[in-house]
Amino acid sequence: MAAAGGQKRERWRPPRGRHRLPPEVIARSQRERLLEAAVRVVAEKGYTATTVADLTREAGISRTTFYAMFDDKEGCFLAAYDGIVDVLVRRVTAAYEAEEGWPSRARAGLAALLEALAEEPEIARLAMVEVGAAGPTAQRRYRAALQRLTPFFDEGRDFAPGGRNLPANTSRMAIGAVAGLISDEVTEGRAEYLPSLLSEVLFATLVPYIGPAAATREVGVTK
Amino acid sequence: MTPPSSSPGNASPAPNDDLGTVLEQERLPAGIDDLPEPLVEHSQRERLLNAMARSCAKKGYGATTIADVCEGAGVSRATFYELFKDKEDCFGASMELALADAMGRIVAVYSPDKPWATMVRDAAAAFLDLLASRPTFARMALVEAPSSGERAFELYASGKRVLQSLLERGRDDPVEEVAIPSSAGRAALSAAESLIVGQILAGNTARLRELLPDVVYITTVPYLGQEEALRQSHAAEKAAVPADG
Repeated sequence: MAAAGGQKRERWRPPRGRHRLPPEVIARSQRERLLEAAVRVVAEKGYTATTVADLTREAGISRTTFYAMFDDKEGCFLAAYDGIVDVLVRRVTAAYEAEEGWPSRARAGLAALLEALAEEPEIARLAMVEVGAAGPTAQRRYRAALQRLTPFFDEGRDFAPGGRNLPANTSRMAIGAVAGLISDEVTEGRAEYLPSLLSEVLFATLVPYIGPAAATREVGVTK
Repeated sequence: MTPPSSSPGNASPAPNDDLGTVLEQERLPAGIDDLPEPLVEHSQRERLLNAMARSCAKKGYGATTIADVCEGAGVSRATFYELFKDKEDCFGASMELALADAMGRIVAVYSPDKPWATMVRDAAAAFLDLLASRPTFARMALVEAPSSGERAFELYASGKRVLQSLLERGRDDPVEEVAIPSSAGRAALSAAESLIVGQILAGNTARLRELLPDVVYITTVPYLGQEEALRQSHAAEKAAVPADG
């Protein structure tokens, strides 16, 4: 279901006279355009229905240029995905590190994640839902993206009185709880309301490390 | 390589094929169709459902084609379209079949006479064993179904809701008197699911039972508190190696 040519989307294009730009600059802007196009098209049509032709049309590049950069649709999607994950992880890290004390750090990091996803619901959809449809490599890439959050959760072990006795996979599971709550919301088409999930997501993060009573107290502290 | 003389012409499925096991044991809800279906058509349908599950486990739902499924089942394309509308329809039917059986096994573990924590442990053990012994089903139900069309997603979500309602019985009887969020059970299940899916994608499906202590801990801690959840988790370590027989 390609969007009929009716309304044209505003697309960024290199300035006129781009033949004077160095080739690597042109290649770079084409790549960026393509990755942005991939995010838009996949968020709109779903990964399975997206074709290379959709991507080249949306990005305003030729098929030849596409295949000079990527082997196939999957390669392009994965590159776009990695870019999204980098941005999200940077925002979470900055918010997390600005606070003191693990529960406050966790709260700030989670709030930043929820806000970033809510700002761009199509990115939220791609990052949390569509990635599952993009094949085994993409699914592993999603797991790897989640694992990048592990250090933030592992600090909970040092913080918790009995942290060393916790099961080996506690951090993986806590991350899975957070990802599950977020993707449930995104699947329901409620990505823009994600920030309202903060206390639930924070509880799910804290409870394996400090138990339900302390987690409830922490969630209630200074909203 | 001479096949047994009595063998029918179709390619025999792998011996530990998950859906195949389900089907061969005839554990499926019988009597859905009132119309007597020709036997041959019935078995063609089953072969297609199995082939669909196997292909998805191997290359993912997105990359699976109807040609793959027909070839795997030894069934013609025309027959496929007599039985199913499209790929999504076939996948949904395949998932429905396997899920009904799987959920039956989990629910059977539950009994109102057992303490809640024991039931959670037994259900978790049954679930992990089921997945470990049926890698094709494991992959289909937990990796592919969430993103393989609406019907499959609905089935996946309904399976999860059943597990969630079983788990939330813990809310009746909290050890620590605190008001935990209503999403705590759903979050705990997602936590366990995420760990399980990670192991499946890493190729460790056969060893899923080893996750029992982790799964017991994460699913009980919101309700029982840390101390008791750790105790239950340690108790589950002893049960983490499946007893033979």
